[in-house]
Amino acid sequence: MTTQREGPAGLNVTMQRLLHDMRRSLASPSRTPRMATVLGRLLGLAFVVCFATGLYSHFLQDPLPWMHFATRPTWLYQVSQGIHITAGIVCFPLILGKLYVVFPELFQSPPVRSFPHFLERASIALFVAASLVQITIGLLNTFQLYALFPFPFRQTHWALSFVVIGSLAIHIGVKLPVIAKHWRKKPERVARQLTFSTGGAPKAPATATRGVTGRVFAWIDQTPGQHPSPADARTSRRGFLATIAVASAALVALTAGQSFRVLDFANAFGPRKMGTGPSGVPINRTAEAADVLTTANAANWTLTVTNGDRSMLFSRDDLLAMQQYTVRLPIACVEGWSQWATWRGPRMRDLADLVGAGPDVYFRATSLEQDSIYAVMEMGPEFVRDELTLVALELNGDVLDIDHGYPARMIAPARPGVLQTKWLSSLEVI
Amino acid sequence: MSGISRAGQRPPMSAAAMRAWRIGFIVLGVAGLVLGGVVLLDQVNPSRYLGILAWFIGALVIHDGIIAFGVLGVSLVLRRAGRRVPVAVLAILQGAIVVGAIVALVVFPQIYKQGVGTLNPTVLPLDYAGNLVVFYVVLAALTAAVIAGYLAVRARRARTGSARS
Repeated sequence: MTTQREGPAGLNVTMQRLLHDMRRSLASPSRTPRMATVLGRLLGLAFVVCFATGLYSHFLQDPLPWMHFATRPTWLYQVSQGIHITAGIVCFPLILGKLYVVFPELFQSPPVRSFPHFLERASIALFVAASLVQITIGLLNTFQLYALFPFPFRQTHWALSFVVIGSLAIHIGVKLPVIAKHWRKKPERVARQLTFSTGGAPKAPATATRGVTGRVFAWIDQTPGQHPSPADARTSRRGFLATIAVASAALVALTAGQSFRVLDFANAFGPRKMGTGPSGVPINRTAEAADVLTTANAANWTLTVTNGDRSMLFSRDDLLAMQQYTVRLPIACVEGWSQWATWRGPRMRDLADLVGAGPDVYFRATSLEQDSIYAVMEMGPEFVRDELTLVALELNGDVLDIDHGYPARMIAPARPGVLQTKWLSSLEVI
Repeated sequence: MSGISRAGQRPPMSAAAMRAWRIGFIVLGVAGLVLGGVVLLDQVNPSRYLGILAWFIGALVIHDGIIAFGVLGVSLVLRRAGRRVPVAVLAILQGAIVVGAIVALVVFPQIYKQGVGTLNPTVLPLDYAGNLVVFYVVLAALTAAVIAGYLAVRARRARTGSARS
């Protein structure tokens, strides 16, 4: 320690330097409107991708009356929901990076300048809170950690999706001049001057001595040296972007293997792993949890297929006696994981023909499972009539495991796993 | 986005167009908020609203009050500790710490859930704690290698520079 720092004067200098460092830390070279624009558009894109894939998943489960869905490619839902979850995970580094960049904006002075300014700040608070809650409960849902939040996941996630996208649109509207100004990179000498109004790079003392705060900052800024050179500022900005990129890449590489086979080898943190579970396929709800162990194993189990007054009963042997088809289809869960598998059984449309169902009819499938909103599932004609839609009796060459829906379950292309009804009890034309 | 200037090649968006776009976005956004509110009122039991509000406030407090200030503190400590360390080395080190923290943020809840138990063995089937340790070892090794590589390049440049002068 130098003699300069001893005694009250030394303490003063140390304090000054500490505050200066803090102010400089706050005024990091990465905290520029340009960086906010760069990260903001990536985060905005991720939000829009999550919203679009989320809408698709939602309407597959709760279709509006006029809706029809594509059944090809068969991996459509697998990829769409895999992207939904993976993009949601990538939102973590992106939103933390974005919030880091705009952190000085939190300390605007005065905090509220006018009523529109108050509305703007309130909308940003809502945007940040809703976004953080949305991606956090989304993540927790992928491994069913519901105990942490005292509200229903699906309904809240659905409502918040509109709040997040609405707040995003408002935010873009409010910031559009800034976004437009910084959409493209500026030459370095210009970029250096473009910092946030508060917490920008320390100004020369002469320009910042107004008021108490001005005097304090001016005093802090008198500390000699320590201003980042342009080269250092560039290194710092590149380091920041590289950090966000590496964090995003690491999370994708180490989790997306639960949805995409090419990354299965690197799956270290995915909540699911391909190839696990009976017959090499993961499970969401077990037979025990669905309380079907007795009813599904009953010797007198039958599948009732009904079209108006016409009703037929099929035992498992009856179903096995029908023409059997083998299909390769993924089971793709709303939680993002998916698994390709080989399914075998009669075609749904053959059963529909047996009860005289027309080509445009909808079917309702009912499961033996208890206490589940998915015990009853409805299916449009595009799925009923698809040649790949089976009442599956076998999975990957094995008799369907009880946890996979023995004695019979639905499997159809490009549908969420929750609609691939297990432990079938009845199919009826609606 | 049309109308945004490209370094003098295209005229900047006119004030009227900018105003129209801004109003459009804000109207769309307010409509989204209203729809979100309607869905919330329609589908979520009012007894749950307080819980959602608590999570909103909690998210802001945890981020703005704890994480952001924590990051500020860490960068302050690193800067003070490393006055003689090249900025690039500090940036690499800071980056590695941030990457490690973000991955922890995603993986810790999984380790917690594994601890309290899952509904079936195919949910969280991996050794997440073990994998996180391996990840940190790899991250530390890569960080060290990148820093060493940077310092080697810097030293070579310095030698070349001094040889020339």
